[in-house]
Amino acid sequence: MRLRFLYATLCGLVLAGLVHIVTVLAIPLLSEADALSRARGSETLDHPQRLYTLSTADEPAPAEAWLPTPDPAVALGVCAYDLDDGPMRVSARTGAQMLSLAAHGRRGAFYAVTDQAAVRGALDLVILTRTQYDEALANEDENEPSRDVRIVAPERQGFVTVRVIAALPSQRAAANEAVQAVSCTIDSPSEEPGK
Amino acid sequence: MTSVAETDAIRAPARPPRTGTRMPVPAAGLARRVRAFLRKTSRVGLVVYALGLGAGLGLVSADWATRGRYPFGGVTVGPWTAWPRAGASNADPYARAVNARRGEIPLAVGEGLLLSATTDDTGRGLEAGCRYSIAGHTPPARAWTLTVTGRGAPDPARPSLRSGFTSTEILRERDGRFAILLAPEAQAGNWLPSPGRSGALRLALRLYDTPVAAGTGSLDPETLPAITRLGCGA
Repeated sequence: MRLRFLYATLCGLVLAGLVHIVTVLAIPLLSEADALSRARGSETLDHPQRLYTLSTADEPAPAEAWLPTPDPAVALGVCAYDLDDGPMRVSARTGAQMLSLAAHGRRGAFYAVTDQAAVRGALDLVILTRTQYDEALANEDENEPSRDVRIVAPERQGFVTVRVIAALPSQRAAANEAVQAVSCTIDSPSEEPGK
Repeated sequence: MTSVAETDAIRAPARPPRTGTRMPVPAAGLARRVRAFLRKTSRVGLVVYALGLGAGLGLVSADWATRGRYPFGGVTVGPWTAWPRAGASNADPYARAVNARRGEIPLAVGEGLLLSATTDDTGRGLEAGCRYSIAGHTPPARAWTLTVTGRGAPDPARPSLRSGFTSTEILRERDGRFAILLAPEAQAGNWLPSPGRSGALRLALRLYDTPVAAGTGSLDPETLPAITRLGCGA
């Protein structure tokens, strides 16, 4: 009887290990509180959704922030994308403040670029699937090479974060504006005139 | 009869109220009833027990492992700990689960690196009632911020003056070093007010656009600010 009980306990422990592994792997897929699910709300916008707005004299405390541990000196915005709608173009103009863009998939960040990579004050990040990338290469005009930074995304859904650092409290309002000034649009070359 | 009761106690270790050999009467009655149930439907009972143990232990341990900090992949340098892979696409499943549960967007490798500290240089936990000096250098970075957070909600009676310094705001010594004083009362120099009167504190040093993020091997205690406790109480 005791042996059978030990045997049942052993089975239970093995089962516990399996349940543990399955649960840990399933949490990112099932979570509704993760960044990707929450960023979905920004999909229809053509500018980043504000995640963390720096507090200024006019705007005291950000109420909409859900980030657990935000940096109080960094304004953060997010643009969600679904590559089924077309390639995602994130255009940023660099200013006095440090800006960084990071592309995240469900598994984590797969690309990040700062404003130091900007060409003539403009930073254009295009996120596409492998097929869309090949298409863009084929359609490219050889005499006029594109200055876009093209990134092939590992998954169809994800989001791009925009971080702008306010080095001084007086730059906070400008940092909030710099996040809003970034544009996130769906690139559809067929709609452009003359092509 | 006593020997039977003892084997029963060994056989069912998960039954909660087991106070040595002298059981309270209701618990002994319960144990006897369980024993009778087990004897009658022993196989079914054991299967149910194994399934219950597996599901319960598995879920509780998964919850425990993905709550709070990242369990693996930390690089500890003095009091500071960094998780350089936490935001990367090759992060371990636990880090991904922790991020998903908290809704965290960690810094990507190309963006920067977060270092956090919950103890001082000697290993004692950071407390809001104490005064600390955070002094020294930082690794090369285009910008950095050092912030303090307390556990729980902030005290509404205390005005939040500032919760951190940026690399531009800080006042430096002649040789480029800096010293931040973390204290509940106002201090001369770079004073960082404690977020509360009591409780544990956590310091976060975020390095932006730093080469360190790509290889944390270059980090050593000399390049990071030292956290020294100056004293506690008034």
